[in-house]
Amino acid sequence: MTPRSSLLTQSARPLYWILLAAAVWVLLRGHNEPGGGFIGGLLAVAGSSLVAITLDVRAACRLQPLAPLPLALSGVALAVLAGLFGAAAGLPFLTHRWTEVGVSTVMLFDIGVFCTVWGALTGYVYALLDDGEAAP
Amino acid sequence: MSHATHPAAGGPTCLWLAAAPLSLFLLLAWGLTHHALPWHVDASWVPSLGLSLGFRVDGLSAQMLALITGIGTWIFVYASGYLAHEPRRGRLLGVLLLFMLAMVGAVTADNLILLFLFWELTSITSFLLVGFNHEQAAARAAARQALLVTMGGGLALLGGLVLLGQMAGTWTLSGIIAAGPDLAADPRLPYALMLVLLGAFTKSAQFPFHFWLPNAMSAPTPVSAYLHSATMVKLGIYLMARLDPAFNDLLFWEAILIGTGTLTAVWAAVLALRERDLKRILAHSTVSALGTLTLLIGLPSPGAALAVVAFLFAHALYKAPLFMVAGNIDHATGTRSIDHLMGLRRAMPLTATAAVLAGLSMAGLPLSFGFVAKDVIAVAKAEAEVLTLVSYATVFVNAIAVAVAGVAAVRVFWGPPEAPRGQVHEVSWRMFVPPLAIVLLGIEFEFFPALADPLLLAAARSISPQLGVVELSAALDLDVLLSATGITAVVGLLFFLAWDRLHQALHRLYRLDERFGPAAWYEHLLHGLSRVAAWHTRRLQDGRLSSYLRQTLAALLLLGAFAWWAGDSRPLIGWDWPDQGWAWAVAALLIVAGAAAALLLRGRLAVLMASGLVGYGSAVWFLFAGAPDLAFTQFMVETALVVVAASVLPRYGPSSSRREPWRWANAALAAAAGIGTFLLLAHLQGLPPNAELAEWFGRTSLPEAHGRNVVNVIIVDFRALDTLGEIAVVAFSLLAVLPLLAGLKKRRAA
Repeated sequence: MTPRSSLLTQSARPLYWILLAAAVWVLLRGHNEPGGGFIGGLLAVAGSSLVAITLDVRAACRLQPLAPLPLALSGVALAVLAGLFGAAAGLPFLTHRWTEVGVSTVMLFDIGVFCTVWGALTGYVYALLDDGEAAP
Repeated sequence: MSHATHPAAGGPTCLWLAAAPLSLFLLLAWGLTHHALPWHVDASWVPSLGLSLGFRVDGLSAQMLALITGIGTWIFVYASGYLAHEPRRGRLLGVLLLFMLAMVGAVTADNLILLFLFWELTSITSFLLVGFNHEQAAARAAARQALLVTMGGGLALLGGLVLLGQMAGTWTLSGIIAAGPDLAADPRLPYALMLVLLGAFTKSAQFPFHFWLPNAMSAPTPVSAYLHSATMVKLGIYLMARLDPAFNDLLFWEAILIGTGTLTAVWAAVLALRERDLKRILAHSTVSALGTLTLLIGLPSPGAALAVVAFLFAHALYKAPLFMVAGNIDHATGTRSIDHLMGLRRAMPLTATAAVLAGLSMAGLPLSFGFVAKDVIAVAKAEAEVLTLVSYATVFVNAIAVAVAGVAAVRVFWGPPEAPRGQVHEVSWRMFVPPLAIVLLGIEFEFFPALADPLLLAAARSISPQLGVVELSAALDLDVLLSATGITAVVGLLFFLAWDRLHQALHRLYRLDERFGPAAWYEHLLHGLSRVAAWHTRRLQDGRLSSYLRQTLAALLLLGAFAWWAGDSRPLIGWDWPDQGWAWAVAALLIVAGAAAALLLRGRLAVLMASGLVGYGSAVWFLFAGAPDLAFTQFMVETALVVVAASVLPRYGPSSSRREPWRWANAALAAAAGIGTFLLLAHLQGLPPNAELAEWFGRTSLPEAHGRNVVNVIIVDFRALDTLGEIAVVAFSLLAVLPLLAGLKKRRAA
């Protein structure tokens, strides 16, 4: 690869955290304003990709809560779990439940979507980037 | 292959597995003595689809169950002896157990779909069992053949059952049988019955599908004795008998069953003369017996029902032991060829006893249950006044059965002992007790018919409810003995004595069958299939991305053109200047500029940036068309794609200098696709809008789902199941892609 700009390598991590915070903010406000799990997940993918490109894949991977594939699968699991709350109450699967304080299974479901998108797409990106030459 | 010289393999004998069928058998016996038939079990399964776990046991089912579990018990005992030197016996016995449960399910299921599921499960387990010696190419081919033939028939059966279910408006077998006479006027009935019969004919090896059964003899002998003589091949017979009360008034049903049954019985009897392998001789005679059963089901008289159940019973009671005898001979001498077998009675007296007793029954001679069955069959035929041709055919078939019995029970055991071929010895008790036990059971029924009578009569009544009180008598009726049994016995004796000469004489006929018979057709079909698949893959999959795009676009265009031509609506062009039209214009300009740049530019990175411009243009358009979420997503996707692709692309080196073929054709196709899409969109714009859904979502989003962002509410709440499916696909696509990319990486590294 071409020599890296030190400005970019120095700012990659701070930028990642800013993007991740934006992603989470977009995720959380999604139910009432434009946003949601899909878009938030894509923002997080952008942050992770930034780190993966400017630094390297392993650094990007370390910044994620889980490795891409487990992250994606746990996202699906979270969405299923969100659906089971309704089923446990005797309602059809995926009937959402709300509590008084504003926490709901909708949120859990959207977090599942977020994690799936984040995990699956970073999985693709890392696999494409990490073809042996990029590793320092 | 001889197992006699192998050292005993260690490990458990698995004899205890026989407890499974035995306990089921005892349960059945207890049930029969304590509860009146029929028994029902009904549990809900998928109520919204009208599916239930419905089971029903009547006389016919009970008879099949008695065969499956009763003979099954002895099969497991036999298998534990036969497989004593087989290290993989655990696997075989496990599949055999699964098969038994599938059979139990198939003969008791009342729900059509349930019946189909168990039916196919027997085909799959049969495939695994026939292909057990999978290191032999012949066994693999036989397993595949059995699977393809019976599964192909299974597909037809599914279609027939669904049709029958739709016509009768019920998904239970009992409901269809009750509705049977009313269905006769329905024009779809012949198709439905043809499909069902295709399923039954393939399963029960009727002509022209008979060829898979003899080939399935590459299975280990316990499998042949159980699946391919006593139980699985009777499943088609069972289904035909089950449906017979509903349809036996139809000339169509009667003609097909009698015709196919007679043809199968005769042709299989002729083919039996071809073989030199004891097991294959027995297999052909099984096909012949299955043909006789089909013929008997087709006969309209009530007495025929009794003949069906009696022969079904008798056949299982003599054929399974004969297979075991063949397996014992194979085990002890290492060969099954009748050319090399002679005078085994001294070395294997107990196996010889079992063989003679089973042979007596097969020949329909007195002192056997086969004699009772033959008596009932003769009465049924006299009642039904069958065609003379069918009567002659029956005499011929029975005579061949006598001859086959002679070959299996007399020829290989009597005569001068062969020159010593090593140490031929009697097999272990686990291998000679089961055939002896089963044939002795048959003889017991001959002397005490009262033991089997109630069950057989109940079974016959479920095929033919109007059957009166009859008794299965074993009295030596001189007329019957002289006419039916006497003639066939004499002719059969002649066939037996002339076996080798007939084999020679019919040689040319067999050559013809090999070249033009159904088995040859099967081979042609199979080869044709793989040739077509290879040709079509070569043509369509050339590995160039542009070819795939070209094919996809061309197919879509053709479909669109067809829809336009076939539909009566001319494309409407809706056009009105939207609010904020200037923003739409900017978006359109971005898209056009991006597309034009992508066309004209050469470098990979430049083309990538240009295509990104197209994406941004669409995002701008979404933004002003009232879809901010979509715009947001589009911006994100486009950015991430361009950035990642831009950092990956340089590693693949400079773009290839190979000129793309078909450049002008591609351009024309792309232009046509673009214009087509434009026309489609313009047409959609011109259609009267249906805002019902949009309004409903907008109205209910906040009060019912507590969200103001309707798009998100739809995604996570109203259509959450769709979203769950989508994210599952996204996650699993990664599972599929990772190994692909890893393989690519490895190849590049090498």
